[in-house]
Amino acid sequence: MDFDFSPEEQAFADEVEQWLVDNHDPVVMDPTRENFTQLADTPERRAFMKKLAAQGWLGMSWPKEYGGQEIEGVYEYILNEALAKHAAPQIGKGVGIIGKTLIRHGSDYLKKEFLPKILNADIEFAVGYSEPQAGSDAANMQLKAEKKGDGWVLNGQKIWTTSAHFADWYWVGARTDPDAPKHSGISLFLVPMNDPGLEIVSLPTIGKDTTNQVFFNDVYVPDTQMVGEQGKGFQYISEALDLERFTMFTLSPSTERARVLIEWAKEAKRDGKPIKDDPNVRRLIARIVTDQAVAKGLSVRFVCAARKGGKPPTIESSQYKLFATQLSQRVCQDALDIQGAAGQIREGQDEGPIRGRFEGAYRATVVETIGGGSSEVQKNIIARRYLGFPKNF
Amino acid sequence: MDLEFTEEQQMIKDMARSILDEHSSVDAVRELEDDPRGFSDALWKQLGESGLLGLTLPAEYGGGGQSLLEAALVYEEMGRTLASVPHFVSAVIGGGILAEAGSDAQKAEWLPKIASGESIFTIAWLEPERGYGPVGVQLEARSDGDAFVLSGTKQHVYFGGAADQLLVLARTDAGVDVFLVDAKADGVSMRQILSQAGDAQYRVTFESVKVGAGDRVGAAGTGWDSLSKVMHDGIVLLASQAIGGAQQALDITGEYMKVRTQFDKPLAAFQSLAHYMADASTNIEGGRMIVLEAAWTRAQGRSIERLAPMAKLFCCDTYTEVTRTCEQLWGGVGFTLEYDVQLYFRRAKQLELSWWDTPYLEELVAADVLD
Repeated sequence: MDFDFSPEEQAFADEVEQWLVDNHDPVVMDPTRENFTQLADTPERRAFMKKLAAQGWLGMSWPKEYGGQEIEGVYEYILNEALAKHAAPQIGKGVGIIGKTLIRHGSDYLKKEFLPKILNADIEFAVGYSEPQAGSDAANMQLKAEKKGDGWVLNGQKIWTTSAHFADWYWVGARTDPDAPKHSGISLFLVPMNDPGLEIVSLPTIGKDTTNQVFFNDVYVPDTQMVGEQGKGFQYISEALDLERFTMFTLSPSTERARVLIEWAKEAKRDGKPIKDDPNVRRLIARIVTDQAVAKGLSVRFVCAARKGGKPPTIESSQYKLFATQLSQRVCQDALDIQGAAGQIREGQDEGPIRGRFEGAYRATVVETIGGGSSEVQKNIIARRYLGFPKNF
Repeated sequence: MDLEFTEEQQMIKDMARSILDEHSSVDAVRELEDDPRGFSDALWKQLGESGLLGLTLPAEYGGGGQSLLEAALVYEEMGRTLASVPHFVSAVIGGGILAEAGSDAQKAEWLPKIASGESIFTIAWLEPERGYGPVGVQLEARSDGDAFVLSGTKQHVYFGGAADQLLVLARTDAGVDVFLVDAKADGVSMRQILSQAGDAQYRVTFESVKVGAGDRVGAAGTGWDSLSKVMHDGIVLLASQAIGGAQQALDITGEYMKVRTQFDKPLAAFQSLAHYMADASTNIEGGRMIVLEAAWTRAQGRSIERLAPMAKLFCCDTYTEVTRTCEQLWGGVGFTLEYDVQLYFRRAKQLELSWWDTPYLEELVAADVLD
């Protein structure tokens, strides 16, 4: 048993930490974006991603023949947690699901075209799985792909494509065989985001970022831009989630938020008395740090399970995600309760405690228990795989 | 980072499991409820002979010299089997305080006997209408020449009826001190108080009980520090015990849900019910991780000032919450004495209220974070 990183891993963690301190950029590393700085559509963020690439930190776990270092996935976990802790953009879907899926299933053409650009941070992706009728029921996607000559014509709609308004390429699932069972009629495509048939409609959210609906109007995609085999799209999508064992939902942002709350509570006063002497505040803070320690334990558990290889750590990651995202929201909720009336002051104004940090975070964290597999989906997974219960929906 | 046990750790866990499976069946546990002695000699003998009793006591005094991590594995098994046995009060708290603060003579006399099971120690700490902190220790130890005279009342003295020796927390001019008192000494009287868990706990009255200066454990005024240090180890073990009990309650409930049908389908196929269980299992796994981290951290010689209270706080909370959920899932039969789930339900709450309760633990954590 060992709860510490190995000396090599610790050295890497220290190196990343120091690098992030040395390269601190307040525009890119904005903690008030609450774990979503990778969604900032700014030249500064693009420049920062190029710097990460120059460090050799993109695609570390990729095979050497594709420009990776074949390094253990735990290093990407360390890197992403450090990035998230500093509110820097995380390494994301390019080197993750897209790169890894192309390496396993992509044609030589797609590999040559995309992999080097991913490693150099020359390219930004948007991922299009969700649709109005395919949320938690992801395999229910209806975006229609009809065969035409040496390609496909796509018609329909995607939703919740957060990066659509600035990405270069769209990684998108579409139904190529309407008569096949729902999981096996789907194929994956790469579509240039500037295709004139794509219409992007912004959906402002209660969080910091806008998301998008994307409408497909006769978007023609050549066969060469289909990923892998026809009809295997959903299989690839599921497999990619298993390949992304180390870079799921990061814990550092909520740990940092708890730290910020505690620092504030140590100094703040109400009616002339220190807030930290209020028994109710002490109780809430004790609970928050305890639950943070438990969440950390659950993350160690999934990382250790992932390192063992073999079976994907599905149960471990579901239990971690369920616990950590609920906790992340509770920290914000407790923070506002502790701050009382002033907690409502909209973020960004000096009159609010911590400039309204938790007013904003309370809104921004709502999506955490929804995206990336909702809490209810995680519970269904745990019920079936951990408890051995029958399918219940 | 890795979560693998060593071969020796696995062996210790397996040994504990097999001894407890043999001697602490649910029937045996039921048999011992409200029993004045509260444990079976057969199990006690096995624990002594196998080395599990003195597992963490120093090897030079007949103990196993193992770390808190090995002990935590044993305590998860004790929780799983609801083992009723004075292991905690005698070996962990009694032996722990002697090993921490006792004189060489005290250690040489008592630790080997504690490790073998020949002597049973318990601690007389809490007092009626007083709390868990040092201020709650008000039993008077009046100085009388070279001796002390103890007067006052203690309660929640676990296994008091079977104990040979009592470690008594008392107030002296120097502060809080611990005294070693023979359970049969003149002026000591006790009576059993029934508890929610049906364990063997006693209210003990001290009427001018005379003890020698050599019966004080540790230097004058250091009693609370000794107890507090040993308690930080001890509560990690109780947290592990809580996880063992919670896991077993979850397991038997899960099996029941697969066979009990209503509306022509098993309870396990109802999503609302399955989700309760998914939450419960997540908290149990999280609790197990914080126990392991605390025990491992202590084994590395690092401080568990914050981790230990967090572990008991979270795990006891989980145990009570999980068993309340399980009661609900069993439905009417869970409310009857006949079904086993109630055994876990009652012990969960008792464990949460005992050995530093929720408000006390929360304040320990808060003070460490905020002050």
